Amino acid sequence: MTLRAAITKKRFWNIFVLIVSTVLVGIAMGQNLTYQQDPGWQPPQAAIARANPLARNADAVGGGRKLFLRECTECHGREGNGRKRAADLVLPQVQKQSDGALFWKITNGNARHGMPSFAKLPELQRWQLVLFLRQLPLSASTAAPVEKE
Amino acid sequence: MRKITRYIFFVMLVALPALAQESPYFVTYDHHLEEPGNLEIETQSNAGFPRHGEPSYFAPYIELEYGFTTRWTSELYLEGQSRSGDSTVFTGWRLENRFRPLAAEHRINPILYFEYENLNEASRIQKETPGHATEFDVPNSESRHIRAHELETKLILSSNVHDWNIAENFIAEKNLSHNEGVEFGYSFGVSRPLGTIASAANCHLCRENFIAGAELFGGLGSTKGFGFHDTTHYFAPALSWQVNNNSSLRFSPAIGLTSKSAAVLLRFGYSYEIRGFKDKIASLFRGAK
Repeated sequence: MTLRAAITKKRFWNIFVLIVSTVLVGIAMGQNLTYQQDPGWQPPQAAIARANPLARNADAVGGGRKLFLRECTECHGREGNGRKRAADLVLPQVQKQSDGALFWKITNGNARHGMPSFAKLPELQRWQLVLFLRQLPLSASTAAPVEKE
Repeated sequence: MRKITRYIFFVMLVALPALAQESPYFVTYDHHLEEPGNLEIETQSNAGFPRHGEPSYFAPYIELEYGFTTRWTSELYLEGQSRSGDSTVFTGWRLENRFRPLAAEHRINPILYFEYENLNEASRIQKETPGHATEFDVPNSESRHIRAHELETKLILSSNVHDWNIAENFIAEKNLSHNEGVEFGYSFGVSRPLGTIASAANCHLCRENFIAGAELFGGLGSTKGFGFHDTTHYFAPALSWQVNNNSSLRFSPAIGLTSKSAAVLLRFGYSYEIRGFKDKIASLFRGAK
């Protein structure tokens, strides 16, 4: 390998590392890592125990994604990372909640923290949103591009 | 300034889409408020065809609805009226506020409504029809000079039951300019989306984009004479169509149920929602620094 080729290769790796670290820092800064759950925003036990009626309906995820892009991205971001103003939906403290708990939170909102109620959506559409929320960590880890509407 | 105006116009044109899920009601309010920071621009009209040979009229109005918080929505109305064989006049403005006292969803969700109206007697948008029947035979040249400052309150009760919305509004209105006592009215509405599950595709004519319903509204007299005597009542089927992600159309033909009611009221509305309006305006001023 010539000296020139070695320098070019080194420059390539420098640029590659710079781009990757910029992207990682960007992702980290874009996320709402400081998100703290509101301790007063707890669904009742009966709501937590509710199962998603669409859990076995894989086709419903697509509709949930469409609803998410329309209803949720303004505050939560297209990747659900919270954009510093809302919950980072990818974080474990969100994902470990039951389907019923997430459904209850979408339905009721949290007026103290500016989360509106989405009870205006039909019940099945709210369950579709829950279904799609479960896909978010997968999307984030594979960095799948979010299709534009 | 021109640059700012252009920017605002541009923002309005390219604003991120939002699914407004507009209720089909024109008179009845349900408990769903505007989302915080969103602005909805709506143009509506009421075409009235009275019974007793009185001239028909067309009353368009513009509504700007803004969500201040999750529990407070404010609306400004600017309205006009055009009467068959007569003139076209500006009939005034209204400012209304709706407050949601309870944070979470309940079986019955109350909303408190307060409105100030600065109108003239030519107003015909008939956003509600409290009190007794009014005469429509006064020409605009006269009625436009009769001012009416009114305060209106409503108790809105609304429930969602298995994707059905059931809403009841109880109205009390006080004309501060004339001694008419306190006038009372009501409206009831029922509606349901035609499709309750969202398809993955972006479609215009899917059932999920339509909400059908019906309204019943009218007057209950006033403190000077409470009851159904000399009052107007209407039954109105209604349909809303989510044309695309940020705009919707609504249509409702109201049928007069009493001899004092107009034979038919045809209502048509188009609304456009700007999501994150507050942030967009804030970023405009941040950029100007």
